[in-house]
Amino acid sequence: MPSATVGQTPSLSTYLKSLKHNDIETSIELFISLLKRRQIKNSRPCAIATISLLLRVVGEARTRDAQQLIERIRAVGRRLVAAQPREMAVGNIVRRVLENVREVAERDQDAADGGSEGSTSIPSTPIRGETMRRPAFPTKFSEFSPLHGAATIPQDMHARAPLATSGDSSPAFGGTMEAALQRPPLVSSNTSYAGQGPAASSLFSILQHPQGRSPYATPPTGTQSPALKASPFKGDEGQTSASEKLDIKAEVITSIQDLQKELEEVDDEISEFAQDHIHNNEVILTHTSSQTVQRFLMKAASKKRKFTVFHAEAYPNDHLETHATIVNGGGATAEDADERWKPLTSMGITVILIPDSAVFALMSRINKVILAPHTVLANGSLIAAAGASTIAQAAKTHRVPVVVLSGVFKLSPVYPFDTDELIEYGDPGKVVPFQDGEFMDKVDVVNPVYDFVDAELIDLYITNLGGHAPSYLYRIVADHYRVEDIDLSGKAEGGAVKAG
Amino acid sequence: MAQPPPPPQQSRDNAFDIVSTYNALLHADPDLTMPVAAIEALILALAHTPSTTVSETLALVSTLTARLKTHTRNPISLSAGTDLFQQYLITNLQRPSSSSDFDTIRAHLVQNGRLFVSRAKAARATIAAFGRHFIRDGTTVLTTGGSRVVGALLRSAAEAAGDSSSIRFRVIYVVFPTSPPTPSPSPSASESSANITALRRLNIPVATIPPEAIAYSLSAVTQCFVGAEGVVENGGVVSRLGTLQMAMLAKAAGKPFYVVAESHKFVRLYPLGQGDLGVEQGIVAFRTAEGGGEEEAEEGGREGEGLDGRREASDEGVADMDGAAADKAKGGAALAPPWRLEDAVDYTPPHLISGIITESGVLLPSAVSEELIKIWF
Repeated sequence: MPSATVGQTPSLSTYLKSLKHNDIETSIELFISLLKRRQIKNSRPCAIATISLLLRVVGEARTRDAQQLIERIRAVGRRLVAAQPREMAVGNIVRRVLENVREVAERDQDAADGGSEGSTSIPSTPIRGETMRRPAFPTKFSEFSPLHGAATIPQDMHARAPLATSGDSSPAFGGTMEAALQRPPLVSSNTSYAGQGPAASSLFSILQHPQGRSPYATPPTGTQSPALKASPFKGDEGQTSASEKLDIKAEVITSIQDLQKELEEVDDEISEFAQDHIHNNEVILTHTSSQTVQRFLMKAASKKRKFTVFHAEAYPNDHLETHATIVNGGGATAEDADERWKPLTSMGITVILIPDSAVFALMSRINKVILAPHTVLANGSLIAAAGASTIAQAAKTHRVPVVVLSGVFKLSPVYPFDTDELIEYGDPGKVVPFQDGEFMDKVDVVNPVYDFVDAELIDLYITNLGGHAPSYLYRIVADHYRVEDIDLSGKAEGGAVKAG
Repeated sequence: MAQPPPPPQQSRDNAFDIVSTYNALLHADPDLTMPVAAIEALILALAHTPSTTVSETLALVSTLTARLKTHTRNPISLSAGTDLFQQYLITNLQRPSSSSDFDTIRAHLVQNGRLFVSRAKAARATIAAFGRHFIRDGTTVLTTGGSRVVGALLRSAAEAAGDSSSIRFRVIYVVFPTSPPTPSPSPSASESSANITALRRLNIPVATIPPEAIAYSLSAVTQCFVGAEGVVENGGVVSRLGTLQMAMLAKAAGKPFYVVAESHKFVRLYPLGQGDLGVEQGIVAFRTAEGGGEEEAEEGGREGEGLDGRREASDEGVADMDGAAADKAKGGAALAPPWRLEDAVDYTPPHLISGIITESGVLLPSAVSEELIKIWF
């Protein structure tokens, strides 16, 4: 085990340090083993480690070809996700990075192409035509793709260049429509799911040109339907590798750094909404030691709001951290000592620690429940620390609003076909210590770490983009992930070329 | 849920009879859905009728569509197809770049009629491939109706059961009794029996229950799948009578309720309630002992509030239906009901639906409007 610092428990901080001097392959292996041994766990550390690793991966990739870069990231992402499929933040970050690469590639392509009408199409860059094909669904909990191609909405935070949407499968708004309609269904050789027909992703595609059926199709040059190839955007599909002179790598690295920054600032951004949601004399219930929730409450407290916090301790998996957070504030553990902050009590807020079992009894006094999820799923439901479901159900019974604070990086495009699969079981020794041999012999002890909370129990999601109804999350998923990246497992990609 | 053909109408002003073409198509291919049959019929009509300008074509399509709608008992599903086709034509024909190539576009459309159909059918296979992930070992699926796509989904799960990764699941099939006056078994009933036979042949245990037993059996059910005639703007579905009831029961029991529908069934309609579908169904028909006075008071109040346009349209439909019924009555049974219960539909509001399984993924009901916006704007 290439452990960087001897004598120190491997953790996120040691990993980040080791990243600087280890070579790529070692770093990947190290991260995988840390994930497997749960020495890096929970969404945020996983996300930070993943993004840092991917930054190195991209930095070291010796290619200027976007497609190769994508393949390389996918290959790494596949291994990471396989190491710990329940840490969905890893997969989310990989997909976000892929999305960035694709976006950069598309932008470059558009810029490079200018108005060129060249119809030489080399099926080397799949970026444009690709969205019309669906990934196969071989994974256990299969994937959710809410809307193809994520047509932009005007206020879209991550608005793409208008041209970028035109190639999507969506006949997008306004002027991009015609382009979308006559998009030649070009299929790249690299990521084509051979044998799988490109399923129609928009209603219109049912009426599209038959050439779309065949993979490796090049746009029909004047043969079948001149009308369909009249698009001025058609040239985009093909030629890139030639004209692609802009430094894709540098741009991708910039975008990854932006993503890193987003991860750093996510709590601050979410806490900006605190004043809208926490008012004087309110009684708030929260659960587990979440940095996001603490920051949120701190922000409200710093604006002279006086409120009371009931804090359910999340025994047995998170109670120690919860206690530490209440007494000492955040950052109490050594690893993120650089980022500590004061406890809520120091700001004159009354904090009352309660066992999880008291949640229902107290719920009638609560004005608002604030939860922090482990993962948010595409249909608006979420996975959170065990006990969250109880709280949400109790809140529902008492008609108490449930607000979930979650960075976009926790939002996963995975559709929960089988919720049982998503629940992780932890160390039963935390429930009944192993010293209690007689007990352990006679009784099965289970310790689920997570809970599944259904979308209908949740009233509001607050992400770094703002507040959203659970039913709107599909839209955010569509804006942040590409359909072709949803399935990273790549099982169906017979022709996938591993660039690395 | 195919409907029996209304008596073929001699079209007066046009040589091409869209209605009988449509019905013939539906009958010739039992796998065809109504929207696709409508598109195909329109394409055939285009092939048959010469037109040289864009507006001529569009006018032709809209008159044909209107005729098709008035001559079909329940135009909701069909209108999804015709709307799609019309919109496709508009966006394609009115592009300046392509207007010079009008004939080519026309020729292209006409040529590819069959292709559209096969693609629509391929959608079903895709859906089946997705939907399979919903079905796990030990699940019990509640379903109803003769929906081909639900049948395909269940069969695909059952066929996967034949593989090494065998899924063991059971199916509870709600079978609606056919109403007595119909001499032949209704198409939907025969389709559901086809589904049932196919599943049983694949070694999947199937129980058939009457609709009265849904609530009783629901405790054994893991999830529900239903088909749809149309998926409306707000994410609700228009489906065979009884779907709403099943959805409500499933909701009450806390069971997930999934709608399986191809995305060409998305229709631009925003019903506010059962009386708002634009079709007169006469399900609630009040009578007194005097007889004769069959009051169609059913949705009278709500109808009155409707938009004038819609009102007119539905009135036309009713009038025409009566005509059709009268034609049928000539044959014999004087008091034949204008509607068989099997043909009736209800509207299931979106809050009862857990997800809509389409070929482009599992959509939340709230995502439907966006898919529709993509076509129309």
